Order: sequence, then C-alpha cells, then structure tokens
Amino acid sequence: MAKTYDCLFKLLLIGDSGVGKTSILFRFSEDAFNISFISTIGIDFKIRTIDLDGKKVKLQIWDTAGQERFRTITTAYYRGSMGIMLVYDVTNEKSFENIKNWIRNIEENASADVEKMILGNKCDLDDKRQVSKERGEQLAIDYQIKFVETSAKDSLNVEYAFYTLARDIKAKMEKKQEASNPPGARSGAHVLRASDQQRKPPSWLSRCSLL
Amino acid sequence: MTNATIQEIEGIDDYWGPAFRSVYEGEGGHEAFVQQLDERIKQHDKEIEKLCNFYYQGFIDSIRELLQVRSHAEELHAEISNVDANVKETTDSLCSRAEELIRARRVELNIAATIEKMELCLPLLTTYSKLKTQVDAKRYYPALKTLEQLEHVLLPRVGPYKWCSQISADIPRLRQAIQDASMADLRDFLENIRKLSPQVGVMALKQTQDMLGRSLENIVKNKKEMMGGLGKDNIGPQCPHELVDFSPLHRCLHIHSVLGAKNDFIQYYRAQRKQQARLVLIPAVGNLHDSIQGMKSYLSAVLGFFILEEHLLTTGAGLVSKDWLLDTWSMSVNKVASTLRTNTSLITDPTLMLSIKHQIMLCYGLPPDPLPPVLQEMAEHYTEVLMQRWVSVFRDILDNAAFLPIEVADQEQYDGVMDTFPYDGDELETQPFPRKFPFSTVVPAVYVQVKEFIYAWLKYSAGLGLGGGRRAAQARHSASLLLSRSFTGCLSALFRRPLPLMQLVQIIVDTQYLEDATSFLYEFISNITGSELVTTQAAGSMFQAARDDAEQQICNNLEKKVDEFLDLENYDWLLVEPTGQASSFVTDMLSYLSGVLTSLEQLPERARVAAVRAATNRIATRLRNLLMDPAVKQISSGALYQLDLDVIQCEQFAAGEPVPGLKEGELLEHFASLRQLLDLITGWDWSSYLHDVGIEGGKYALVTPRDAATLLEKLKEAEQKSSVFSVLKKNERDRRKLLDTVLKQLKQLQNQDG
Repeated sequence: MAKTYDCLFKLLLIGDSGVGKTSILFRFSEDAFNISFISTIGIDFKIRTIDLDGKKVKLQIWDTAGQERFRTITTAYYRGSMGIMLVYDVTNEKSFENIKNWIRNIEENASADVEKMILGNKCDLDDKRQVSKERGEQLAIDYQIKFVETSAKDSLNVEYAFYTLARDIKAKMEKKQEASNPPGARSGAHVLRASDQQRKPPSWLSRCSLL
Repeated sequence: MTNATIQEIEGIDDYWGPAFRSVYEGEGGHEAFVQQLDERIKQHDKEIEKLCNFYYQGFIDSIRELLQVRSHAEELHAEISNVDANVKETTDSLCSRAEELIRARRVELNIAATIEKMELCLPLLTTYSKLKTQVDAKRYYPALKTLEQLEHVLLPRVGPYKWCSQISADIPRLRQAIQDASMADLRDFLENIRKLSPQVGVMALKQTQDMLGRSLENIVKNKKEMMGGLGKDNIGPQCPHELVDFSPLHRCLHIHSVLGAKNDFIQYYRAQRKQQARLVLIPAVGNLHDSIQGMKSYLSAVLGFFILEEHLLTTGAGLVSKDWLLDTWSMSVNKVASTLRTNTSLITDPTLMLSIKHQIMLCYGLPPDPLPPVLQEMAEHYTEVLMQRWVSVFRDILDNAAFLPIEVADQEQYDGVMDTFPYDGDELETQPFPRKFPFSTVVPAVYVQVKEFIYAWLKYSAGLGLGGGRRAAQARHSASLLLSRSFTGCLSALFRRPLPLMQLVQIIVDTQYLEDATSFLYEFISNITGSELVTTQAAGSMFQAARDDAEQQICNNLEKKVDEFLDLENYDWLLVEPTGQASSFVTDMLSYLSGVLTSLEQLPERARVAAVRAATNRIATRLRNLLMDPAVKQISSGALYQLDLDVIQCEQFAAGEPVPGLKEGELLEHFASLRQLLDLITGWDWSSYLHDVGIEGGKYALVTPRDAATLLEKLKEAEQKSSVFSVLKKNERDRRKLLDTVLKQLKQLQNQDG
C-alpha cells in the first residue's frame, strides 16, 4: 500500500481556557473562523497534511481542553507529542502568566526533547491588549522557545506557527537520525513467535491502564 | 185727275202702285203730271220762302243769342276750371293725409294683431329660455318638466310658425341631451361611488370594530375623548353611507322615470354596478398578500360596495331589489372567497394574516356562507405560516446556540431560568453557585417560543366561535406539530452540518427536557383557553427522529475519527520482528475513544451503546480491510503479528465494557471474523479449518476460503521475497509445501463455491 505521507508529527495545543486553541486549530485545519465560543470538552484532534521541503508531513494536532477539570485526560497526550503549542491570550494577563505553569506541566509530562512554541493569540484585539508583544518575546527568550503573535480571526501567523514548529521537529528528527547511524538493510531472516504468546503480551496491558 | 194722284202720292206712304198706274194711264199722260208736279214744287217753294221770311228774324236773333251763350259758356268754363283747380289743389293734401291715415290705421291694426300673437308666443319663449337655463344649470329634472309643458301645452297654442317647428324639432334633441347628461351624471356618480366605497368600507369596519371592542374601558375612553373634543366641531358623517351623495342617482332615476325609461335605467344601473362589483372583486393591487393595506382596501372596497347597495335597497325607489342584491352578493362572496383563498395562500406574514382575519370577521353582515370555510382554510394556512415563521425562529435559536449546559452564577440568573422553563430544581436548589442546569439555553428559549407560538395561534382562533375545548385541542395539536415537525425539522437541518460531539450530546439531552415540558405546555394551553386540562399520553417519541439523527451523527463522528486514526496507519508490511508494542495510532485511538466515551456519560445508554458499537465496528472493518487491501501484495509474519497485537489492543478495549449497558462480549463480535482469520493464519491451523469448512459454528466459520487464500498468498509472497537467496531449512521446506497444499485446497473450495 502506497503511503499517503512521509512522516507523522503529533502536535499538542495547550493553554488556558478561552485563549483560542480550538480557533487556531480550526483556522489551520479548515481555514475558517467561528466567533462563538464552544469550550472543548476533553480532547479532540484534527489532521492536516502539509508539504515540508518536498515531504508530505501529516500533522495530527491535538486540541486539549483548557479547563482544569479535564487536566487528567489531557496530560495523557503529552507524552506522545512531538511538538507543543503554548497558547495565551494577549488580552488576558492571567493566561500569559499561566504559560509558566503550562511549561512546568510539559516538563513533568512530556518527553524532554519535545519542540515548543509560544503563541500570543487574539493579537487583532489591539485595543483590549494587556500583554505587550515584548513581554511575550521576553518570556520566550527566557525559556529559549520560539514565539509569535497570532490571530485566528484574521488568519495571522497561524500557518506560519504550525509550519515553523513542524520544520523544527523535522530538523531535530533528521539530526537524530544522522547521529544514530541509519539502520542497515533489514535482516532477511524472519522470526516466527509462538502463537500462544500473542494473545496476552504483557506490554499493552500497562499501556491501556495509562488511559 | 193728276191733282188727285199727287195728293194720293203724298197721302199714301207706301203703296204707290195704283198712283203710278194712274199717272200712266191718266189723261194727259205723264206731262200733265210733271206739270202738276212742277206747279206743286213751285207752290212748296213759295210756301218755304214764305216760312223762311217769317222765321228769318228769329233765326238771326237766335244766332246772336247763341253767340252770346258761347261767350258765357267760355266764361263759365274758365270759372269752372279755376274752381276745379282750386278744389284739386285743396284735396290733394287731403288725399295724401287720408292715405297716410289709412296706412297708419292699417299699421295699428297689424300691431295689435302682432301683439296678440306675440303674447301667445311669449310664454313659449320664456319657457324655452327657462328650459335652456335649466339645462345649462344642469337642473335636468325641472328642465324635463318644462319641456313637457312646452311640448304639450304651449306649442299647440301657438300657430304653425317656422321657429315653433324648429323648437318642436328641438325637443327630442333636448330630451336626448338631458338623458345623456343625466347619464353622464350617473356615470360620474358611479365613478364617485366607486372611489368612495372603500372609504365607506373603512368607516364601516371601524364602526364595527368599535362596536365589537366596546368594553367598559373603551367606552370610558371614548367618553373622555368626546368631552375633550366637544369644542371642536365634529360633524363628520355619522353613517358610512353618508359619505356618498346619492342625489345624482336619485335625480337620474327621476329623470328616467319622467322619460319613461325607468326600467331601462334600473337595468343599466344594475348592470353597471354589477360590472363595478366585478371590478371591485378583482383586487386592484396585484398581490394582496404583500401588505395589509392592499387587503384592507380590497375588503373595504367590497364591503363599501355592498353597504351602499344595501342603503339603496332601503332608500332607493326600487333601484336595488333584495333579490338582485342577494344575487350579486352571492356572486361576490364566492369571488371574495376565492380571491382571499388565492391571496392568503401566498401570505407569509402571520400578523398580516391575523389582521386580514380580523377584517373578514368584521365583514360579516350579509349571509356569509362561503366565508367560514375560507376562514377555516386560512386558519390552516395561518398555522402553516406561523410554523414557517417559527421555523426561522428555531433556526435562529439553534444557529446561535452553543449547546452548553446553562451555568448560572447567582440567584438572579437562576431565577431567570426557572421563570422561563418549568424545571424541577429541588436538587439544584441546594447546590452552591455557580449552579449548572443539565440543559442548554436552547431548551428555555424553545419553550418560550412555543408559548409565543401558542399565543399567536390562539390569536387567530379567537372569535371564530370555537369552543374552548376545541380551541385547546387544536392548539395542542398545533403546538405538538410545531415541536414534532418544525423544531425537529430544524434539528435535522442542524445535523446536516458536522457538529462537535459535545453539541450532539447536549442536543439529545435537550430534546429530553423539551419533551418532558410538553405537559406544561398543555397546561398552559388549557389555562389560556379556559378548558379542562387534557392529560395526554406523554409524547415520548416527539423528538425520537431528531435523537436518532443526533445519535447517528455521533456514530458518524466517531467513525470519522476512527477513520482519521486509521489513515495514520503506517504498517511496514515486511516487518521482520514485531515491536512488541501496539502501533501508536491504535493506542492513541483507543485512549481517545475511551476519553470520548466517558465524556458521553450524559447520553442515554442506548446512544452510548450505539456509538461504541459503531466505533468498534468501524475499527474492525478498517483493520480487516488493511489485511485484505489488494494494494498490499506481501505481508510478512512479523507484520501480521504486529497487526494481531493491534487487534488484541482493540479487543481488550472492546472487552473492557467501555460503556455500561452492553451485552457480555457483544463488542468483541465485531472483531470475530478478523480474529478467526488472524488465529487461523498465526496458528497455522489449516487442518481444522479445512475440516470444518462449511460447517455452522465451526472455529473458523467466519473465514471464507477466498479471504484465507488471499492472506496466505500475501504471506507466501513476503516469505519468498525474504528467502530468495537463502537456503531453505528442512522445516521451512515442509512449511512451504504445506502452504502450497493449503493454497490449492483453498482454491478448490473457492471454485466449488464460485
């Protein structure tokens, strides 16, 4: 079966409730914007295939609920993620301050080499702005994370953010591959396992209980 | 002798014969006689001479005298001439005077005669001129009377003058002119009446409305207005028909009756009015359904027409007969009914319909036989229109709904919700703020709107003469129709676009609450209509269709998500060694599903079961399709084990009762055929398969020879590829042999079936 893509990146959107994570995702996946606010319940994902330096890259972007009560569900998705978008709302000081907490959250739950990016969303609402772009930059520099201000409503920098994150992930992957010498040709031998073992491999039980 | 003879001759006058004889025969012959004769003559001469001598003197004297007379005569003559001249002179002037006199006398006589004649003519002429002025002043009726007089009294009295004949010739012409003029007047009147009849109708409607709406309050208000408006002169027409000046009509009627054409006139009038009625009945504005104004003016025109006719029926001298009026009315009322029908059927504005209904109701006055059915039809149409109206209301509500449970932060908000929607909030009452209702804003909003609908619906049925019970029943029917048809329709429309899962769940929950609220709606209806509360059986299936739709959507939603996960599948079909871990897309998918299923806990059990069934079935089908995909030519046993591992993951999920209410092992059945296939291949259990094939309930009953063969071929392909250059060990050779045999057998079985 011919593969419809070259690689799959799992991305995660996190941030306080109402900062516009779903809107950003909606803008990126459907190129549309819906003014009404429907808070995400639990977790959802969207898939978009992008072309990155001639490679077809599938982005599976997980949209998490910002609300505290879904925190246990959402953290389970941190580990598998290759990139995380930290979103705050430039018109909401609190959501910006919480970015630090979210970063701590990532450090606790996600793999260490996960790519991160900070998005200051709703930059179209300049008259209600509470967090300056400079403070965003400052924070990003402090944590050595890339930063961009976005507007899901005006479709500003949304594509750019996802492409940037995807490109960074790709670069990191390629670097890793070079480092750990690419594996040689597959061994021609085929090994058959005893079939009775197959029914209850111990490995997946533990994985299931994670969920 | 001779002597004698002469004497004889002298003596005898005529008989001279014997004398002559004697002369001849006598003695001395004739000489003697001549002698004698001479002697005689001489004697006579002597005598004459003597006589002359004697008279001469006298003669002279006479002459002399004569001469004298002559001069006298001349003198006289002169004198007479003179006198004559004198007389002549004097009589000449006399004569001329006399002639003058005669002439004058004659003139005098003539004048007298003329005056006499003229005096006879004068009334004629004055009448004629009166006639003319009357005609000019358009006073046709007096003119006609004058004409009559002129013709029958005055004209015969006057002699046969030329001008008289002219006048008599003029009479028919004048009469015609009057008739024409009065006809023209009539036409003006008709035109006028046509213009006015809508106003008449409007006024009549207003009066009827006033009368109908005569409540104490209104009367008091009117009184006050009267008091206030006392100063102003308020002498408008009191009756609608006073708006119209009927005098031209009556004049015309009189004129025509004088002319002896009364019947013709009545015929003409009726025909014209009928014509007008037809015109009135065709709405002036093309589309009455555009505005109430059009409909109002139409109805008032019709109404005005008949008010005026009815007025004429009571006042007009037979101009309008009852029969004719009823005839026209019945003709019209059908037309009106059909016009209303066609026009109202296009109306989409309920308030407009309502006011039209009011207008029609007010029009009741003449036998309205066909109108109640029209009103009934309109009622139905009105309900339709209302439903359509509310469809958009619902659509609005749904479009703007977030489908999130209502959360209230304080008592005020809480009371706000509780006031609009009957909810048994005992449990909620005790909870601290913010309290959360189980339903979304849609529920109270729709509930309120249904109430509004009922109000609007009842507005129409008011005054239709329906009993409270019937009204209530119909209202109930309409309300439940609104919910079960219109609202459900809106919901269905909502489902046409993809909705987030949570919204779908909320919709199902919401419909449940709305359904529970119908009994309150019925109570509300019976309160309004004052009828007994009818406890109908709970319309439990009112929104079942919508719920089914929502459930279907939820299923579709989950299936789509499953598809998305499976699209991420990246099996290496030539995998040598399975990783020992399930593929990440499978673990992601299963954790996603269990997350989603837990968040569906608000859903009725049935829906959750359906959702999980749909999802599992989809997973099983997709995984199986992966194996059978013709594009995958080779499958190594490593890859097969990897897939087997993934399927086991899914089976674990299915067996773990992800939602309550499932039958034991029910979900696993979706994987049964895949499981049997995998077991068969991985367990290399061909002998029992081939033995049991075709037997019901066999261990591999769900595996068709074709599927088994297909998968085996793929496996064989992969093995051949991996071992092209290596030397086969003995057991491998046996295995290859067995594989070929099995394949052959399977092919045979396939052919048998085929």
